[in-house]
Amino acid sequence: MRALAYSDDGAPAAAGPDSPPAVELDGVSKVYGGTPAVEDVDLAVREGEFFTLVGPSGCGKTTTLRLIAGFESPTAGTIRFGGEVVSGIPPEDRNIGVVFQNYALFPHMTVGENVGYGLRFQDPPGGGSTEDRIAELLDLVDLPDAADRDPNTLSGGQKQRVALARALAPGPEVLLLDEPMSALDARLRERLRVQVKAIQRELEITTIYVTHDQEEALAISDRVAVMRAGTAEQIAPPREIYRRPSSRFVASFIGDNNVLEGRVRAIEKGKRKAGTACVAVIDVDDAAFRLETTETITAGDRATICVRPEALRIDGGTSRLTGTVESVEFLGETTRVQLGWNDREIILRTPDPLSGAVTVGFDPEDAHLVAVER
Amino acid sequence: MNDPPSRRRPRDTGEGQPRARRIRAGAERRALVPLAVATVALLAVVFYYPVATVFVEAVVVEGAITLAVFAEILRDPFYFGEFARLLAGEDPIAVLRDLLGADRRLGIVGFTAYQAALSTVASVMLGVPAAYLLARYEFRGRRTLRSLTILPFVLPSIMVAVGFVATFGREGTLNTALAAIGLGPVELMFTLEAIIIAHAFYNAPLVARVTTAAWESVDASAIETARSLGASPFRAFRDVVAPQLYPAVLMGGALTFVFTFATFPIVLALGGFQLATVEVFVYRLVQDLNYAEAAALAIIELVISLGVLLGYLRYEARHAVRSRGARPLPRRPLFRLPAISVREVLPRVGLGIYGIIAAFVFLSPIVSMILASVIAADGSFTLEHYRFLVDRQRTGAAFQVQPWTAVRNSLVFAAGSLLIALPMGVVVAVLTTRRYRGRKLVDAIAMAPLAVSGIIVGLGLLRGLVFGVEIAGWRIVIAGSVAIVAAHAVSGYPFVVRTVAPGLEGLDRSLIESARALGASRARVLLDIELPLVWPGVVAGAAFAFAISIGEFSSTVVLATGTDAYTMPVAIERFIGRRLGPATAMGVVLLIVTSISFVVIDRLGGESFGL
Repeated sequence: MRALAYSDDGAPAAAGPDSPPAVELDGVSKVYGGTPAVEDVDLAVREGEFFTLVGPSGCGKTTTLRLIAGFESPTAGTIRFGGEVVSGIPPEDRNIGVVFQNYALFPHMTVGENVGYGLRFQDPPGGGSTEDRIAELLDLVDLPDAADRDPNTLSGGQKQRVALARALAPGPEVLLLDEPMSALDARLRERLRVQVKAIQRELEITTIYVTHDQEEALAISDRVAVMRAGTAEQIAPPREIYRRPSSRFVASFIGDNNVLEGRVRAIEKGKRKAGTACVAVIDVDDAAFRLETTETITAGDRATICVRPEALRIDGGTSRLTGTVESVEFLGETTRVQLGWNDREIILRTPDPLSGAVTVGFDPEDAHLVAVER
Repeated sequence: MNDPPSRRRPRDTGEGQPRARRIRAGAERRALVPLAVATVALLAVVFYYPVATVFVEAVVVEGAITLAVFAEILRDPFYFGEFARLLAGEDPIAVLRDLLGADRRLGIVGFTAYQAALSTVASVMLGVPAAYLLARYEFRGRRTLRSLTILPFVLPSIMVAVGFVATFGREGTLNTALAAIGLGPVELMFTLEAIIIAHAFYNAPLVARVTTAAWESVDASAIETARSLGASPFRAFRDVVAPQLYPAVLMGGALTFVFTFATFPIVLALGGFQLATVEVFVYRLVQDLNYAEAAALAIIELVISLGVLLGYLRYEARHAVRSRGARPLPRRPLFRLPAISVREVLPRVGLGIYGIIAAFVFLSPIVSMILASVIAADGSFTLEHYRFLVDRQRTGAAFQVQPWTAVRNSLVFAAGSLLIALPMGVVVAVLTTRRYRGRKLVDAIAMAPLAVSGIIVGLGLLRGLVFGVEIAGWRIVIAGSVAIVAAHAVSGYPFVVRTVAPGLEGLDRSLIESARALGASRARVLLDIELPLVWPGVVAGAAFAFAISIGEFSSTVVLATGTDAYTMPVAIERFIGRRLGPATAMGVVLLIVTSISFVVIDRLGGESFGL
């Protein structure tokens, strides 16, 4: 890999739990004319981390990004960059790079002028000339000969890569990406996603990424914050978000999921203390499901559990239910089957289409306890 | 592990930054504020202060505040006709009976409203068929015709008046043409008809413009839905299209009423003092040095105009239908009929008759003026009138109007007011397109010059700064020519705002935010990103400002009284009675200058112009 002069002091810090937070939000709220868009959000993005804000539209993820960029100022709370409070610092002094969904290339400038625009206000990092820096960045985004082109003649994917090069050219401390791929078609999106991730890894730049696409969030991020109605419901690495959602909303928003509610009948194995695993028997309608959990849980609690469709096996597992096939969708590599069971919908994935009555089951370790209520 | 603060590169205060760049960044950061302050200050000095002077003049008589001047005007039948008796406390029924009688007196204010109402009706009748033609038919030159509807905004009204004098005058083209076919001469000069036709020339395009825009935004699928539900074509028009046109027609009508209520040059030239409107009489009172009465009358006029405008705006607020048609109605070819049927032929016959009337109203003044400028008294071709313009007229007495001086003044004033109006307009456009509390107030304050007549501004400037103001022992006096440039700049800059602001408003906000994230200050974004992208609008605004200044008459004629700071429109007004030839030659020069401005506006900013 070629050595890219990214910042003045050489290699940036590697991501890790002990790195100091590059961007920190502390009780941040934003109210627009009485309606809160962001409510009391706490989060800490580590140096070099790829951090994603994901959620449905209107959840406050873009507002959160705009607060970090300084385009909006928070109604309450503080934002820190590398430990320094940035309130009152205008966006141009925050040392950030921003990429928008609609590319926002300056239409009256060439691609090279676009990429070099940020260098009008500061010297190129690494001490080279502006021209060299532009060439270097265009090389990085795989558009080596585009400097003299008119941005209006580029394709959507090319425009987005130029926007990325432009944002990176001044060597920002934090890269902010606001749904950068939403305007692109699915195939291109996947290709660009890999490219963006590779560049982020190479530069080890702290990146905050906003998307509504949960699949994209899981694929690209080091950590994900799932947002809903202005608050961050869960902040965790993608695998944990997927496997151990901390709320009913996260469980159903991230991926296909079967979320069921029942009552704890008994604790079968292990202790009831927090942190140690036990197997609980949970009654859902007329069925008894077993699941493994480390949560403190006692008989009589109301429990919300989830089982991923891919964990349900036909005639397999220890916890079983029998439902009737209601719909079958052929998705290519799998078939998505929806079963009707006691007025509930159960989703499963099978290689082959099914019909009639089907019995499916899962193992205790494949189910997750989302929430408990006494 | 690296020390994180060392990675931060503060952009403005970093030690690595060269000093010059730091200073420049600091200057840019603060550049907008002084520009905004300068704009506000200029507006205060050359607009709000003079208008306030006029107001004070009307209510302060010999050092005491009084409403006596107003009370006198309101009760004077000379101004308010029979209504004055109502205000004087007479029996309303007797007044009403007299009003319905044959020899009613309307008074000057009443007559002004009456002619404005008739002019509005004429403008709507002439404008709506044009909108129908432009919105529903396709023909060669449709776009050009549509663009031409913006022309009245830049055509000097005194030039239009010259055109109509050349048409309706005793030896005008109309009478010449009538004589050729053996019909007796008609006397249209100094009649109400002439004034109304001239007003329709001016305002029908405005009605056509706003109505066409409304018609074009009617969604075809709404009509198709109505038809599929069983409505006949007529019912679909009545129930779906017409309700979307009313607000636009009303807007055109309200604006026409306000414009023609404050009419000045056209009435002065075509009506004389026997058909005087309020504005003409204010001017006359100014000339008679009766400033208090002039001021009070001007304020009464302003209140009535603003009342109509406000009433309209309240209506608009309740009936605002701003749906951009997803799919506009298809245009039918005008000349190639899809079928020979009553439904196809009848509208086109109607449009043909309309076309003849429209051609007479719109073309005859222009053609007559051009003809009159090149035809000598004996009917032969001559360029003597044009030669007159560049001759320094050594023969004339010192107090006489020198044509070359007028031409030169017009160009110098226009250039001067352009230099002031352009930055002012751009700054106001920037200020009114930002989001902040009180933006509407700023917009209203900045746009007020559009609603206040030039006479008031001119009168205020004359009585204040030109005659001299005492501030802290310093006597401040500005020259008449400086005041004229200032007044022109004030009346021209709202047009700069109206051409630049829509462009700024329409800019993608993420462009600005991207530039800021890359390190550009707010002022730098304006220079690097926003202005280059709305440049056509800026140039169109400049052309507007230039054309407005060239054609401005109301405030100029007040400020140029007794000085040699007269412009072409003022010279035309002075020539118009006695020397029609030079007046028409000057009119042609004005026509050329304003036509060039129009072409610039049309090519660069006509589409986005917010009216």
